[in-house]
Amino acid sequence: MTADRSRLGLGKLLLWLVLAVPAAAMVAGWLSGRVILMDLLEPSGEMAVRLMVLALLPGPLAECIGAGRFLRAWLAVRRNLGVAAFLYALLHLAFYAIDMNALSAILEELELPGIWTGWLALALFVPAAATSTDRAMRILRRRWKTIQRVVYAAAAASFLHWLLLDWNWQKAALHAAPLILVWLLRAVRRLPSHQRRPT
Amino acid sequence: MKQYNTPFLAVLLAAPALFLSTPARADGDVRCNSGPQQNWKPMSALKKQAWLEGWTVQKAQIEGDCYEVYARTENGQAVEAFFHPVTLQKLLVLRRGREIYRAPGFTN
Repeated sequence: MTADRSRLGLGKLLLWLVLAVPAAAMVAGWLSGRVILMDLLEPSGEMAVRLMVLALLPGPLAECIGAGRFLRAWLAVRRNLGVAAFLYALLHLAFYAIDMNALSAILEELELPGIWTGWLALALFVPAAATSTDRAMRILRRRWKTIQRVVYAAAAASFLHWLLLDWNWQKAALHAAPLILVWLLRAVRRLPSHQRRPT
Repeated sequence: MKQYNTPFLAVLLAAPALFLSTPARADGDVRCNSGPQQNWKPMSALKKQAWLEGWTVQKAQIEGDCYEVYARTENGQAVEAFFHPVTLQKLLVLRRGREIYRAPGFTN
């Protein structure tokens, strides 16, 4: 286990560097005045959703097709992808808050479905992000998985948030499609008729 | 069955949000039937029109055959509005995806 982890160390560092590039580009664009905050809302939110999808995919996929080398590596970094998704969601919120420029304005539009679904998504994402460490995993044991499953609800709220703001079905659907596909596949596999009889 | 509870509940809880909101259209779907661009009023006139509304313009652009403005109202509300490029009539105003104004007779 220890050897495994140290081997992954450099890989994970590289992964985090790659994951940080879009965020750095967004912040740099804003600070230099090339991009206005309003235009960073969509890319930051999109990154959060994409990483969330990437974190949610390998689990059911491995269950359906079995974990080969590639999927095992993917599984090994999925918590990193999930945490990165959460960080992009926070960046998205920060851009929004700075752009709104007043707490009163933020509170005033809280009742809009396009807005509160975003807050809901973030709130539902907090438990999983807060328990993403090895330590939390050890302490929580079986309950850890239950907490992580709340991310499904966060994903659903995120897609709604996107849809209600943008009314662009294709884009949100395109991101949700892989998840729906693997969940369906897994659901079919878990049907009693597909399960191996215990001998 | 337990595994399906969370996603199922999520969809169940989130679905009403779709119905709570007035359906609007994706930006690209709004049609102004504005004809050739040489007859359009200049972008500066559009910005002035938005200013006359009491808005602070964040961004003004062409979207399809419409003029589109992202702005803040006097009350600090974030709005997205579509104007007819020839008449500069305000056709549609959205607030975070919710339709808050539609010009009489405008159905696109």
